[in-house]
Amino acid sequence: MNGRSPILQLHNLTKTFGSFTAVKGISLDISEGEFFTIVGPSGSGKTTLLRMLTGMESATSGDILLRGARINDLPANKRPTCMVFQSLALFPHRTVGQNIEFSQKIKGVEPAKRKARALQLMAQLRLPENYYDKSVTKCSGGERQRVALARALAYDPDILFFDEPLSAIDYKLRKTLEKELKDIHRETGKTFIYITHSLEEAMVMSDRIGVMRSGQLVQVGSPQQIYSSPGTKFVSEFIGDVNVIGVRATATTGVHAAEFGVDFVTQPVPAGFGEGHLVVRPESLRFLGSRSEAQNCLEGRVYNEYVLGSRIQYQVRVGEHVFIVEKLRQQAFAGSLDDQVLIGWDAKDSILVTD
Amino acid sequence: MDGLTPRWRTSLIWAWTAVIVVFMYLPGLCLLLASLTSSRYFVFPINKWGVAWWEKTFSSLEIHQLFKTSITIALCVTVIAVVIALFGALAFARYDWKGRSIYQKIVLLPIFFPQSVLGLALLLWFNALGLTMSWQTAVFAHLVWIIPVCTLVISIQVYSFDPALEEAAFDLGATRWQVFKEVTLPVLFPGIFSGALFAFLLSWGNFPLSLYTTGADTTIPEYLYAKMVAGYTPGVPVLGTVSTVGAAALLLIGYGLILILRRRRASAPSDT
Repeated sequence: MNGRSPILQLHNLTKTFGSFTAVKGISLDISEGEFFTIVGPSGSGKTTLLRMLTGMESATSGDILLRGARINDLPANKRPTCMVFQSLALFPHRTVGQNIEFSQKIKGVEPAKRKARALQLMAQLRLPENYYDKSVTKCSGGERQRVALARALAYDPDILFFDEPLSAIDYKLRKTLEKELKDIHRETGKTFIYITHSLEEAMVMSDRIGVMRSGQLVQVGSPQQIYSSPGTKFVSEFIGDVNVIGVRATATTGVHAAEFGVDFVTQPVPAGFGEGHLVVRPESLRFLGSRSEAQNCLEGRVYNEYVLGSRIQYQVRVGEHVFIVEKLRQQAFAGSLDDQVLIGWDAKDSILVTD
Repeated sequence: MDGLTPRWRTSLIWAWTAVIVVFMYLPGLCLLLASLTSSRYFVFPINKWGVAWWEKTFSSLEIHQLFKTSITIALCVTVIAVVIALFGALAFARYDWKGRSIYQKIVLLPIFFPQSVLGLALLLWFNALGLTMSWQTAVFAHLVWIIPVCTLVISIQVYSFDPALEEAAFDLGATRWQVFKEVTLPVLFPGIFSGALFAFLLSWGNFPLSLYTTGADTTIPEYLYAKMVAGYTPGVPVLGTVSTVGAAALLLIGYGLILILRRRRASAPSDT
């Protein structure tokens, strides 16, 4: 990613609806050929942001620069960008071929040429050639995804936008399509900007992820960075099940948890960190034989277990506080429910975040 | 219902359905029977059967003129009503705008006006404007009542229209006009077609508005009424039957066209 020129730059981009500010001063550079995903819960402003980038919504203030040129006032049909819609928005009265060729028909490309292009895209997206004359309404969910992607690619856009196109698809197919999309990204080398409410989905596909909350980008980084060092409690909880303990810094590598009345050893405490949260991932927690086996330790009771395929989660209660411990099936907890246990983790797995 | 066996229950449902169907269609059948007499007067049961009145009716120049007037009015009403109602329906169901809710109520209200009163009101208006009553004024009178109905019919289709389709077409480089021509219009076509059928048939069968506003011109329903009041012949049921069967045929053809269209869309070859 480094060294490549930015294709899209946002400067202090803001959108207000009446007295409500949906997007608050977002600044961001997106590199040529990057797969950038914007993640956020519903109402975080991610869809509004995307609609401004596509030209379907006008920005209240700030700039959108495409290769250095301001495109704020360029309408969607004049922008060299294209979006795959959440509903896919395939034209129901057209065949697969006609859907894919739509943009070229508008441009006035001759029929033979655009058919050749459509068939080439269909082959690339693993759509059978005889689907060319098939009605889109008769295609399956996965096939419709591919047609929508082919239609967008046929426009030959500089940037492809995706508005949660996989959200309505069942889990198994979604996992397959996520990987396919990442493969298509590699093959085409185009810039992909994707929005979703699922950080898990974002992790699989993206080069970089931007996490949005209340109209602001709260963190931007690689999936690894977001996963291993979430800056805030919001981001850490967005990733999935995590254990969060309210703490106060007491030493350069130590915090005090008032809830349990104990001190924990952590990674070096960031400068200026006063009150905050200690985050421990479920897979970082271990069942201990004795207190000396880990740097941090708590005593609790196994309350329940949940089998998640190859992994098993245990709910361990320490007083009123619920901890989630996750183990691979091969390393399953040997005891039974209601056993008193010691759970522990090391300083390197103690992630400190602010509110 | 506890004491009934499922078989009884099914029989009752069928019997009830049959009674309703007979109730609705028997009068129409009587009309047909009344036309198949060779006597001058309406006597029931019919003792002398014949098709003499059918021949007389079809060869009458007066009747030809009636058809011409009725069809002309209905076609004019259809074309104008569909164009206005399509855009009305887009405002009604597609776009969210300030005042939409009031607009929706105002547009639908004329449907519930008593038509005889509406006809009279229109007559007074046309007089005040100094217009001479003719089939042209009747077209306007019909439109006042039919545009709201047509708007409602097309709106039903518009409600199921995904606005993202238009955005997608626009995003793919189409101009506003191309979006309308390539996406909006074809996707809404079944609704527009139904609206056109409604407009034509409601105009074709309308009596109260025509009565006040056609002036010297006469439509089929007006003629039927006039002949019933004075000068009945079995030509009246003949004309009534033709008018009804014609409307039914038009509906069936329309339904057939929609079916063919759907099948063609399902397995459409790529047009260019």
